[in-house]
Amino acid sequence: MFILKNAWISIKRNKGRNILIGIIILIIACACTITLAIKNTAVDLIDSYKSAYDKEVTIGFNRENMMKDFNPADEEGRASAREKFDNIASYTINDVESFADSDYIESYYYTYSVGLNGNDIEKAEIESNDDMPNGFGHGKENNMSSTDFNLTGYSSQDAMSEFISGTYTMSEITDNAWDVAFDGNYVFINEELATFNNLKLNDKIKLEDEDGNVYEFEIIGIFKENDDENEQPMSMFSNSVNTIITNSNAVVNLTNGNENLQASIYPTFIIDSYDNVEKLQDEFYEKGLDENFILQTNEELALSGVSSIKNINSFATTFLVITLIIGGIVLFIINMINIRERKYEIGVLRTIGISKLKLTMQFVSELVIVSLVALMLGAGIGAVSSKGVSNSLLESEINSSKETTEEVNKNFGNHGGERGGMHGKGMPVVEAYDSIDAVVDIKVLVELLGISVSLVLISSIASMVSIQRFSPLTILKERS
Amino acid sequence: MANTKKNNNVSKEKTKDNTEVKEKSTSPKNIILSIKKASYRYSDAEENDYALKDISFDFESGKMYAIRGRSGTGKTTLLSLISGLERCSEGEIIFDGKSLKDMNLDKYRNSDIGIVFQSYNLLPFMTASENIILSMDASGLKIKNKKAKAIELMEKVGLKETYADRKVLRLSGGEQQRVAIARSLSYNPKMIIADEPTGNLDKQTETEILEIFKKLAHEENKCVIIVTHSQNVCDTVDKIYDLQKLPEKKGK
Repeated sequence: MFILKNAWISIKRNKGRNILIGIIILIIACACTITLAIKNTAVDLIDSYKSAYDKEVTIGFNRENMMKDFNPADEEGRASAREKFDNIASYTINDVESFADSDYIESYYYTYSVGLNGNDIEKAEIESNDDMPNGFGHGKENNMSSTDFNLTGYSSQDAMSEFISGTYTMSEITDNAWDVAFDGNYVFINEELATFNNLKLNDKIKLEDEDGNVYEFEIIGIFKENDDENEQPMSMFSNSVNTIITNSNAVVNLTNGNENLQASIYPTFIIDSYDNVEKLQDEFYEKGLDENFILQTNEELALSGVSSIKNINSFATTFLVITLIIGGIVLFIINMINIRERKYEIGVLRTIGISKLKLTMQFVSELVIVSLVALMLGAGIGAVSSKGVSNSLLESEINSSKETTEEVNKNFGNHGGERGGMHGKGMPVVEAYDSIDAVVDIKVLVELLGISVSLVLISSIASMVSIQRFSPLTILKERS
Repeated sequence: MANTKKNNNVSKEKTKDNTEVKEKSTSPKNIILSIKKASYRYSDAEENDYALKDISFDFESGKMYAIRGRSGTGKTTLLSLISGLERCSEGEIIFDGKSLKDMNLDKYRNSDIGIVFQSYNLLPFMTASENIILSMDASGLKIKNKKAKAIELMEKVGLKETYADRKVLRLSGGEQQRVAIARSLSYNPKMIIADEPTGNLDKQTETEILEIFKKLAHEENKCVIIVTHSQNVCDTVDKIYDLQKLPEKKGK
């Protein structure tokens, strides 16, 4: 205990130097707290970005596998390739349901589309061009070109990715549209198609299949396409003009008992972790998925938004390292000077039989006591300032997050938000920190403590070594 | 600083029982410290370049000794060996039946012996009593009222109680040396080793300080060893050991 007492006496005696050490550690602690808080914020933000995206898996076509044996120069090769292609077993809605019954899958949604012709409405078309491009992202050409309309059924709002991304926005909608949208023969149509056929909300339209069966639908919403990147610049209509949006149940009802009606299903599975994709793919193959299909994830997309935050994070790390190096060097020098100045004291203490270990402990305790006080002050000051720093760092994210959420709700015609509370995909829900402990949490404090203690110990290593090497008599003789 | 020593070897104990020794009956069992053929060579010195060679001295409890020698004869080296600040290169030193080789020298210094220096070597930023208490702390002895014990020790060496809370820098040389002696007594060691303890003091004070040492030896049965070149000291002690230069080394 007398070591601590001695340490305390020495601290009081060398006020000037200890205040200097204290200020240096205070600055380091302050800088550390702010940088750690920024890093913490950045990591939180990265996490929230990641979680803003559902971990999605879609089924894609494995072209590489298909092209592997393909020999275009050879007529026979082409024929066999086509045969091979035709023989690929597609998957049905029943398959999708069976696929979805997996431990790795949390939920799933799908679009289900079928080609139909108009009965009492006409396809919006000016050019006598048969291969009207279908703007629908998943469109399969051979299925669509032969019919007037593409009736696409969504299983839920989550599946309506065009609305979430803002490609489509709802321009008119009935009050109860979202209450009925996912069950029954209700549709949303493109406003160009509406104009073309002079249709408005609550009008009924009739579509027919190639066998002449007629189906009636009620219009509950009119949307427009905002995609500027029209594949055909000269086209009068947007790509989605002949896309009629309904719900998947409606499509299922249509196709039930009608074998000639070929519907395509595009499922999206929400999984718990990207790590399980390979296992899931094997499971799908076992359940009968053709091996020419592979599973694709949105992992890259989910990470694309975080690069600027990652930059901030690595900048903060660099800043932290530089602060620590400079601070460490200054502390090291002060410690060396300290030991040199106090050689006589060391000599006396060694002579009266205080062991090197105890002496080292005394010097280190002095430093630790001063550091702890400075550390607490520095952490406090740093914590107060880091709230502001973190919030200004987050400011742009906060605003864009808010805007995106509002935007998405608007895309759904404002009723979507009330129903599902949709938020923008790829945009985390970011809120400003309103208290210090939100920024400087236990993790930051523990890190700070660890860093500071290591810094203090490392910077005092040299002085500890000097104590070990001092010969007390030499010191005392020098003095005499 | 080693240079002055390098060329100076040390004579063997020469005047064992010279005229100034006032012998009392010597019985071997009283021997508290025994130097046996001790030699010391600085770690950076060449082979055979000894600062101290083949020294054999015995010291008994209850007696006061002087180790005398001109400068460069290895007085300070011998002092550092017997005070456990250095270890012998050859030979050994036996304290109270145990070789210093086998002892923890920190423990030896903070409990078994007291050391007093010419320049007092007190900590200037502490008060007189704090300096004394520091030594008590270092020895690890459980002393109930350390301050009271410190004051008692100070009174024993002729310092008034009022000095206890004074910073040592405000004390005179003689007073500081008294504090240093009180400090060396604080854990009741069996032996006091003093290096020119009166070198910086006037004659009157020297006599008073020597009187304290004498009492410690004769009344408290401590062994007091004083390294000195002062005739006054030599007149006071019970026995004198002389250190002399060894012949110059060939080729050096």
